[in-house]
Amino acid sequence: MNLDLRVISKCIRCGNCRAVCPVFEEEGWESANTRGRIMIIKSLANGHNQSPEVLESLNACTTCGLCIENCPAGINPPDLVEVARRELASLGIMTEVQVELHRNILGAGNTFGERLDRLAWLHDRRVLKKKADYIYFAGCLASFRNPEISSKAFEILSRFGATVLQNEQCCGSPLIRTGFDASPLIEHNLREIDRVGAGAIITGCAGCYTTLKNDYPSQIDIISISEFLADHLQEMELRRLNLQVTYHDPCHLGRMNKIYEKPRQLIEAICSFEEMVTNRKDARCCGGGGGVRAGYKDLSLRLARRRLDDIPQGVDCIITSCPLCLRNLSDVSNDKKVMDIVELVALSME
Amino acid sequence: MKGAIQIFDRFHEIVNERVRSSLDERFCYASDASQIEGLPDFVIRPKSTEEVSRILMICNEFEIPVTARGAGTGLAGGATPVKGGVVLDMSSMNNIIEFDIENLQVIVEPGVVPEKLNRTLKSSGFFFPPDPGSSAICTIGGMISNNSSGIHCIKYGTTRNYVLDLQVVLADGRVINTGSKVLKSSVGYDLTRLFVGSEGTLGIITRAGLKIMPLPIAKRLVVASFDSAVIAGKVVIQIFSAGIIPSACEILDNTTIAVLKRCDPNLVFPNLGDIILFEVDGTDNSTAEQSYRIIEICAPLAQSIREVSSKTEMGAIWEARRLVGAAISRLDPTKTRVYAGEDVGVPIKQIPILIKKIQEISEEFDIPAMKYGHIGDGSLHVALFIDIMDPDQWERLKRAQEKIHRTAIELGGTVSSEHGVGLARAIYMRDQLGNDFLEIMQSIKRTFDPKGILNPGKLSL
Ligand SMILES: Cc1cc2nc3c(=O)[nH]c(=O)nc-3n(C[C@H](O)[C@H](O)[C@H](O)COP(=O)(O)OP(=O)(O)OC[C@H]3O[C@@H](n4cnc5c(N)ncnc54)[C@H](O)[C@@H]3O)c2cc1C
Ligand code: SF4
Ligand code: SF4
Repeated sequence: MNLDLRVISKCIRCGNCRAVCPVFEEEGWESANTRGRIMIIKSLANGHNQSPEVLESLNACTTCGLCIENCPAGINPPDLVEVARRELASLGIMTEVQVELHRNILGAGNTFGERLDRLAWLHDRRVLKKKADYIYFAGCLASFRNPEISSKAFEILSRFGATVLQNEQCCGSPLIRTGFDASPLIEHNLREIDRVGAGAIITGCAGCYTTLKNDYPSQIDIISISEFLADHLQEMELRRLNLQVTYHDPCHLGRMNKIYEKPRQLIEAICSFEEMVTNRKDARCCGGGGGVRAGYKDLSLRLARRRLDDIPQGVDCIITSCPLCLRNLSDVSNDKKVMDIVELVALSME
Repeated sequence: MKGAIQIFDRFHEIVNERVRSSLDERFCYASDASQIEGLPDFVIRPKSTEEVSRILMICNEFEIPVTARGAGTGLAGGATPVKGGVVLDMSSMNNIIEFDIENLQVIVEPGVVPEKLNRTLKSSGFFFPPDPGSSAICTIGGMISNNSSGIHCIKYGTTRNYVLDLQVVLADGRVINTGSKVLKSSVGYDLTRLFVGSEGTLGIITRAGLKIMPLPIAKRLVVASFDSAVIAGKVVIQIFSAGIIPSACEILDNTTIAVLKRCDPNLVFPNLGDIILFEVDGTDNSTAEQSYRIIEICAPLAQSIREVSSKTEMGAIWEARRLVGAAISRLDPTKTRVYAGEDVGVPIKQIPILIKKIQEISEEFDIPAMKYGHIGDGSLHVALFIDIMDPDQWERLKRAQEKIHRTAIELGGTVSSEHGVGLARAIYMRDQLGNDFLEIMQSIKRTFDPKGILNPGKLSL
């Protein structure tokens, strides 16, 4: 298998990751911990163990990156996990869920295999522009499952001259995270992006953000919607809301891309804000990423419940800036509303 | 052994899905943080003393080796099942059973992580002092079994000083208690102390009563650099002679400082010489006086002296020091730290000689070494780092570690100050302890575990 033993062997098995890996905390087995995953990857690299059982360990990583922050040897375990998933998938070692995800995305251009119009949330297609400075990249989740969020996001962004792609397709994140080649999607989206000639892409999804930024061979600026709105506070007429909220840092926006301050700035411009118990680089994962929600729903929701334990007393609402975090946290939150940052901004603009 | 499937079913009856025998899970338990490897046949995560007892009865009946494991952070292969059999992962038995602050103690299950215990104790103004660098991950069971300790042991002692009572499951499944809630007792052999440091070879610890201490109100840190370790060593003795017992007294060599700076670029350290971190704790007044005296004693001999005033900087220094051993790759990405010869100790007066000899060994075998440790109690961590893809460097590393261990014994010291023997250092037991000592250990082992099922192959037993 094409796995780099030199990189894998940097793991000195010190176990520091045991203190942070959320999946390990939930499951208790070494195979559910970062160190165990790396030992399994090492055994794959040495050709010892190529049974599909290894997927139980490797596919249950949310790629949250908490272990990166805590690893004294300075290695990047989720990267290793993604490479191993790719190698296994290339040998046909994958789960049914992976097969289905692959089929859906390459067949229909979205995670859900939906054949419906991806732009159904756009009430009036006439607003689409051939050329624009900004492209709003909605992503699969906001397009098909949270149309009200994409609609609101676009309503705000169109004031700044943004358009959407005529034929946006999945950014490729779910394929890349679960071990597949996403180049057909990347090439397609890049062609669409080039056609618009924009200087920047704005997205409201943490998964799309990190993929567009780090996996697309393009120089175009990628901006998260919370950064963009925080930078344009003066140009929006926001009224203060009588709300006490907290903010959940999406792993792929916060830890992976260090976007911590802008979402907070934006929230504080609207209402009163208090940090979650773990936040910024130490923020717990919602449990949804890395294909875990799709493949291990029960585990994913247990992780989300743990995240809710971090909510400070007295807040009305949890704000996040990723539709996947939004879904996972909403599914387990009984008494607290979970809201996308776009919804908060829209509310304060009403 | 009886059929593996039948055995698995017997375990399954006891712990349900908390037993596994899949190859991938077994791989994950095939080593701890050392280089020792051994594949278990089963991994079991018990949740109660009763479950442990029932598992041991089966293992004893069928003579299946049983290796207890906490967090697997041990550096000597103690938790590695070198003879196969069962690994008992005790880290799921992680409840704090009782806070008995009025009796100055807590009762915990063995899987409790010391840092978590201390976080919980903090609000009542107490703490459990032993603090290995692995405090955020290791377990109390592992600490007791290795007699672990950390930077504060110079003042607070090792784990051994804090264990009041142990509940232990013996090889045949019997459950005993070795002590009680009293803080001292003169009745009978001290089995509690016998189990401390026994590395899972005499029984499985399922509960521990631990003494706790009041948290100090204030701390101060003095950073001083010296021309050589010999001078640094002299200063330490002078400080003791002045009646001051620092709460930590750590020596760091040049390479260690470079790695520390890489871990946290904001850290300010002098660039030359060997550095000593002196920490004092107590009240505001006592720490002010002690740090003043330390600075006064260091002044004629030190190259530079600085008192760290902010709590944040102090925290950052200790956090970086905690991780430094594993962080060498940050300085040189082609190199990896290998834990070998990493835990020797000598009488404190010999520390400068040990440091000098280790430098010579490092040069002889052309293996770079980072040297840091508790100069106040004579233990020195040697971090050898190599390109792990190069077999020749592995070979030289093995020879270097052999020489480091032999040097410590020759200086009247020990091959392990705090990490334990496991298998990695078993070959030195006879030389360090002598034949008679080993024979007595073997007969004690036979009394507790006649069939030799508990952690076979370790401690030279
Ligand atoms: C980065 C790093 C830093 C470290 N720093 C220090 C340090 O500063 N000081 C220090 O002393 N050590 C240090 N260590 C070594 C190690 O962390 C300690 O020895 C620790 O106490 C081991 O705990 P564990 O839970 O990981 O035990 P394990 O490694 O799992 O087991 C250790 C031994 O205990 C036995 N055991 C575990 N649980 C039980 C039980 N319930 N009943 C009976 N036997 C049991 C095992 O069989 C084994 O022999 C460090 C290790 C690392 C990786
Ligand atoms: S913290 Fe890093 S080096 Fe240590 S076991 Fe985890 S992945 Fe390996
Ligand atoms: S990325 Fe997250 S889930 Fe994956 S191993 Fe690291 S800490 Fe665990």
